[in-house]
Amino acid sequence: MVESSTASGLGEFGLELGTPALKSVGPLAFGPKGILFVGDNVGAAIFAIDVADAEVASEPHPIDLEKFDTSLAAYLGCSREDVNIRDMAVHPSSQNVYVSVMRGSGDAAVPVIIQLKTDGTIGDVSLDGVHFSQSLIEDAADEDDPRLVSREKLRTVTVTDMSYVDGLLLVAGTSNEEFSSTLRRIPFPFVGDTQSNSLEIFHVSHGKYESAAPIRAFVPYQGKNRILASYTCTPVVQFTLGEFEPGKQVMGKTVAELGAHNRPLDLVSFERDGEEYLLVCNDRHPLIKIACKDIDQQGPLTVPDDSLDSSPSDPVTPGVGVPREIMPHPGVKRMANLNGIGVLMLQEDAEGNSHLRSYGVATL
Amino acid sequence: MTQHRPLALEWSEGQGRACLRISGWTEKELSELGGLTAAELAWRLVILPSALLESGADSRTVPPIAGSFRIDGDAVSFLPRFPFVDGASYSLLVDGGAEVHTIRRPAPEAAPTTEVVTIYPSGGEVPLNLLKVYVHFSAPMSEGWGDRAVRVCREDNGEPLVGVFLPMEPELWDPERQRLTMLLDPGRIKRGLVPNQEAGYPLDEGVPVRITIGSDFRDAAGHPLRDGAEKCYQVGEALRARIDPAGWDCRVPPASSVEPLVVEFDRPLDHAMLQHCLWVCDGDGVPLTGQVSVGPCEKSWSFQPEKAWREGRHQLMVDSSLEDLAGNSLSRVFDRDVTEEVDSPEVGRRVAVDFNCTPSPGRPQ
Repeated sequence: MVESSTASGLGEFGLELGTPALKSVGPLAFGPKGILFVGDNVGAAIFAIDVADAEVASEPHPIDLEKFDTSLAAYLGCSREDVNIRDMAVHPSSQNVYVSVMRGSGDAAVPVIIQLKTDGTIGDVSLDGVHFSQSLIEDAADEDDPRLVSREKLRTVTVTDMSYVDGLLLVAGTSNEEFSSTLRRIPFPFVGDTQSNSLEIFHVSHGKYESAAPIRAFVPYQGKNRILASYTCTPVVQFTLGEFEPGKQVMGKTVAELGAHNRPLDLVSFERDGEEYLLVCNDRHPLIKIACKDIDQQGPLTVPDDSLDSSPSDPVTPGVGVPREIMPHPGVKRMANLNGIGVLMLQEDAEGNSHLRSYGVATL
Repeated sequence: MTQHRPLALEWSEGQGRACLRISGWTEKELSELGGLTAAELAWRLVILPSALLESGADSRTVPPIAGSFRIDGDAVSFLPRFPFVDGASYSLLVDGGAEVHTIRRPAPEAAPTTEVVTIYPSGGEVPLNLLKVYVHFSAPMSEGWGDRAVRVCREDNGEPLVGVFLPMEPELWDPERQRLTMLLDPGRIKRGLVPNQEAGYPLDEGVPVRITIGSDFRDAAGHPLRDGAEKCYQVGEALRARIDPAGWDCRVPPASSVEPLVVEFDRPLDHAMLQHCLWVCDGDGVPLTGQVSVGPCEKSWSFQPEKAWREGRHQLMVDSSLEDLAGNSLSRVFDRDVTEEVDSPEVGRRVAVDFNCTPSPGRPQ
């Protein structure tokens, strides 16, 4: 267990000492001063937690752990099948890796935030006596909505990805009722109850069909001015943060499609030789790499892009859509930037074992 | 340590949770173990899930179960940081595996009691571009079973249909974990996208389907369902048009009565959203309290007021986000054809439909 200590200097973020009542753990993202944002979909909340990780590594550190899921199962005292790895993030200064894990399911489910030190030691973050704050992600009714007393409480938003950008926590979520593309923007520090506003992002397929869909995963890039998002209906869509204004509908630019029977799982950005690249991992298709400069030069797709499906296992130069490179990293389920030196990947092999592997930027 | 004395493992209680009590040590061993630091003790005694050892995990490379040992009278107790799992076996490795002892956590036996209450849409026909299915259970459920336990097949020949539902991780549940929302693959429904062009719609027009909820779906206690459930649908043509309340038929109750206002739709609507996307206001715009119910096949909705209707103007309010079975709302066609003017989106968060309560039944104004 990682002992947390009282942190100083966090009053500016409105954190208070206590025990965050996490009902589940999901998406993770680091904010300012190593504050960890944790999405709790069962509790319909996002927690900002000071994990009191004051270690300062001299430099970013690669980490490799074969059969990571087996190690987690041993530590958590359960079978591998009871280990559900939800997300991971690398601490900005200590370089320790934080992993959200649901141990078991149903009444027996236990939310755990694993801390994996750079030497491979596994521990978990104690939530007793930590500085934290929280923001509710329940469906926020209009201020002038007269039905506040009568609305059913069946409606939820399931957070699928988060990212912190300049005082705003961007949250992608999927409603369990209406089908829409809503990106919530929650100012941090969290103030009062829900101080979020949201915007809908539409995308046009092939110049003819305009639709919305929940964002599955997204990543800010280009100095966090742009966002590349993957949707449940497969398009990869780019939009610009500067276009975000309350109440405004944003039209994203569809730059690629990822093909049938395929789900995008995670995105990450990294820099190499002064160029920025994005990696997109998928449940069916291989890992793909996209150069950010190509996204900006890419016009919106006007014809269907089936390049990935036509030869899913071979390197391709798509005839349409943004140029992309298929990477030789099989079974990638989650990714995190290793603070500049590379990308940490959670890879599942054919036997179902999950491995944590670091890849230096020079190899990507 | 002596390997020929009988160590005994038994379950005990500590700090409100199950702990493992290890007895049978010789006095010399106990004295020796009692002199060790917690770290030294954890090095001598390691507890692991037996299943991991059986699957080839190396006890020297995986971390032991998080928890703490302590000398407890004539025994050594292990209190895990995370509760032992019911039904799972655990192995004690003494001195790197020189001795291995195994014990199994009891698993409470209980007859399955949870069942599927309803599957929505509740009607017998769905459009080709059906977007959502809701499954209501009688008790809270475990997550992670939707992709495994829900199946779709052709009703005519039993042929399994794969890739109909979009695998969701995490799944879309209500807060009580009793209603599961399953999305049909939207990429296969939206016109023009590669999944639609390559794999076609998840359903086929004219081909009836059967959705089966397997009894292996686990409730929150980890038990299977009392019985599986199924729902069959005829598949009609695709539905792509905004919902227009002007096409609804309102049966207006007489003033001074508590008879319900009944609204008949021109198509089945989303059962979940009907619970909160329609409400009734009096002439001053004040919402009325009362009982809402959704009619058969989600083709109607009724509102029975707590107090008798007052004579005069009322409004049926409709939230523009209300969807039909294909995800079309009052605002938008699900996949809007930007070249078709009729598909143009409507703005506004809600629509008001006026009706007048008179001493005798009337019609919409």
